[in-house]
Amino acid sequence: MVSIKDYESSYENHWCPGCGNFGILEAMKDALVSLEILPEKLLVVSGIGQAAKTPHFLKCNMFHALHGRALPLATGAKLANHDLKILVNSGDGDCYGEGGNHFMHAIRRNVDLTLLVHNNKTYGLTKGQASPTSDFGMVTPMQPRGVISEPFNGLAVALSLGAGFVARGFSGNLEHLSRLIREGMQFKGFSLIDIMQPCVSFNHINTYNWYKKRAYDLFEEDYMPDDLENAMKLARQWEDRIPIGILYRKEKQTFTKHIDVLNKGPLISQQYDPARLQAVLDA
Amino acid sequence: MSIDITVKIGGEAGQGIQTVGHLLALVGQEAGLYIMAINDFESRIRGGHSFFQIRICDKPVQAPHHKVHLLVALNRETYDLHKGQLDSGGLVIMDESDGSGEEDLIALPFSELAQKAGGMIFANTVAAGACLALLGVPFELCKTVLSKQFGKKGADVLEKNYYAAELGYQTVKEIAFKWSFEWRADRPKGALIDGSKAIALGALAGDCRLAAFYPMSPATGIMTHLSLLSDRFPLIVEQVEDEIAAVNAIIGASFAGVRAMTSTSGGGFCLMTEGLGLAGITETPIVIVNAQRPGPATGLPTRTGQGDLHFVIRASQDEFPRFVFAPGTPDEAFEITARALHLAEKYQVPAIILSDQYLADSIFIAGRPYAAPQSIERFIVEDGDIENPEQYKRFAFTPDGVSPRALPCAGKALVVISSDEHREDGHISEKISDRIAMVDKRNAKVPFMLKEMNPPKEYYGESEVLLVGWGSTEGAVKEAVDRLRDAGDDVGCLNFSDLWPLPAEAAAKALGKAKQFLMVELNASAQLGQLLREQTGLVYSGAILKYDGRPFYPNEIVDGIKQYVR
Repeated sequence: MVSIKDYESSYENHWCPGCGNFGILEAMKDALVSLEILPEKLLVVSGIGQAAKTPHFLKCNMFHALHGRALPLATGAKLANHDLKILVNSGDGDCYGEGGNHFMHAIRRNVDLTLLVHNNKTYGLTKGQASPTSDFGMVTPMQPRGVISEPFNGLAVALSLGAGFVARGFSGNLEHLSRLIREGMQFKGFSLIDIMQPCVSFNHINTYNWYKKRAYDLFEEDYMPDDLENAMKLARQWEDRIPIGILYRKEKQTFTKHIDVLNKGPLISQQYDPARLQAVLDA
Repeated sequence: MSIDITVKIGGEAGQGIQTVGHLLALVGQEAGLYIMAINDFESRIRGGHSFFQIRICDKPVQAPHHKVHLLVALNRETYDLHKGQLDSGGLVIMDESDGSGEEDLIALPFSELAQKAGGMIFANTVAAGACLALLGVPFELCKTVLSKQFGKKGADVLEKNYYAAELGYQTVKEIAFKWSFEWRADRPKGALIDGSKAIALGALAGDCRLAAFYPMSPATGIMTHLSLLSDRFPLIVEQVEDEIAAVNAIIGASFAGVRAMTSTSGGGFCLMTEGLGLAGITETPIVIVNAQRPGPATGLPTRTGQGDLHFVIRASQDEFPRFVFAPGTPDEAFEITARALHLAEKYQVPAIILSDQYLADSIFIAGRPYAAPQSIERFIVEDGDIENPEQYKRFAFTPDGVSPRALPCAGKALVVISSDEHREDGHISEKISDRIAMVDKRNAKVPFMLKEMNPPKEYYGESEVLLVGWGSTEGAVKEAVDRLRDAGDDVGCLNFSDLWPLPAEAAAKALGKAKQFLMVELNASAQLGQLLREQTGLVYSGAILKYDGRPFYPNEIVDGIKQYVR
């Protein structure tokens, strides 16, 4: 039996009081416990940013890597040992800005891992600049006349690239988010959960109440996440009502299943064979 | 009379220069001779001017020769560009439509003969046949190598190529060629190998299991070779979206427990420097091959150089230990690649191999058969090796700075790693004492790493004057030494392949024996010379430097040294 206590880290938390990250952390723990994954069987990979610090506050195997680079690092780890259960924690700047190219190509590869994007629409760790997902017109100390680019829509991009599991969560709805994480981790293939998250320090537009007023639950609406066109419409729905839930789900062969050599087991478990190498060297 | 002839085949990219060149390499190998061939080409798929220059010798040879004995001009431009390099009694063969009348020129009806053999596609085989006939190669030997080259393509293709070669062969067989010699069947002296293939084989001998890369000349050949072999080994070769992904993917794979490598050239290495630092601070073993080409930026994509030494030893911000190697020959490239994978893991540091376009794309005869190691020594701990796995600390302090390395999800021991400065348990720390202790811990490895470094290779090391080089210029420098010694000069050389941490003590000892030493490098500032001055206090008295993107020819070194000697 796994309990919440197993996941408790003794490391001091660095987040601001009231940060949306706390809700995400609790939802993660809840999902991991209900999936009965032991901390020593979990690998959390993250980039850089407030979101990427998440694994420090959880007891697990972790690699807190470079800004934007969590996905290629997680891909390499998965290729080395495809039995690893990998959860990636990233933020809107980390994943959609610095790591945008990796995000696109991780989707193309369909690596079996779950990506949580803590999307607070601002740069927290560097103190309040606009992020790729900031709303048009948002005023920040760095963009005093307002943001003049359109926000990046990670869900729509993921859908257009053929992602098999595309969901939106809300850090203020723990039970719902826990379910998304659970389903994402059970899904075979790349799963994206973009999580709406208030930043109490720097984003005074998209606040907890702002989200609370707009979020509606697709599970309650009996929405069937099997139609790409519908999913695309929901991914673009933002102003007055914002859907949370699984927008699209469709399994297909995962990346490591395409690699014949992995039929013999994970790369780390296979034996070095000097005779086979000598034959190649002598050829 | 000793054999030492050079054949140059030139033309446009796409004309089949490689086909002729490889036939010559095979003939040389089959006859038990030594060969060395360089590939000179532009960064384009069709057109332009390319050449393949092969030297055939009866003693080991590791550098090209500046004089050409037989020039196969597949177009007029080749003749105009290279006729000045012809040695006395040298000949040119060229299609008659490209010109005729010059004294050293044999104009042949290549096109007409090719049509007769089955189409213009056979023009290069016609030229090869003519070339081999002039060199005195018996036609039986020609057939042997043709079947090696074309046998896989089916009987029809092979027959047509036999015929095309014979047409070329018969056309010139009455022509006397000063440099023709008697070919004897002999056991091959070794396998044909290029630097890229040697590194790929070395990667397998180092048990590399993930090779992630983004294509970039002249580094791509390594991955092409590995890809072709990947179905026979526990090996994945993955082309990723960019060099940043490549280096981070190998860090992830290494962290998860397999040896991993990437290859790139200078521009790609620039993108990898952030990841290099990640490997540095997280003490994750990786190997990066930088096949150098002249830069900066795009520079000369298909040319050679040694301009990245200072860059790679300092690349990425702040300070952390790393290995840097530069193989001098394919044999050494094989050995060093396997060794780099081993040492990177042993010391939990990144290792960089500096190759270059010359080593990567040139063809040599391997100096010895390559041996697979009987086993691979791993440096990994499991729960059973750890006193209290639940208290495992990935960055525990040890006298040599190397902490016991467990793998994620392999037991009770949790592996916690951060790119931030951290504590012994891997969690972020900004405490002054943690910072100092971690820098000291990482640097504590250096004295032990230094013990792994080989001294420079001495060749007539007791001489009055020493030429000093590193990496792939070794063959040209040694041949220059031979020629200078034949002319009565007391000259020797030192060649470095283990560059960082610099074996300064051994270097000082070897350099200190000479009255003076001169640097020979393919860069504009004698980078190794500067490094030797910094690390040993010894100052080079001159330098023969070349930075035109082409490899050293031994005569350039011989000529260059004259202003310093005598």
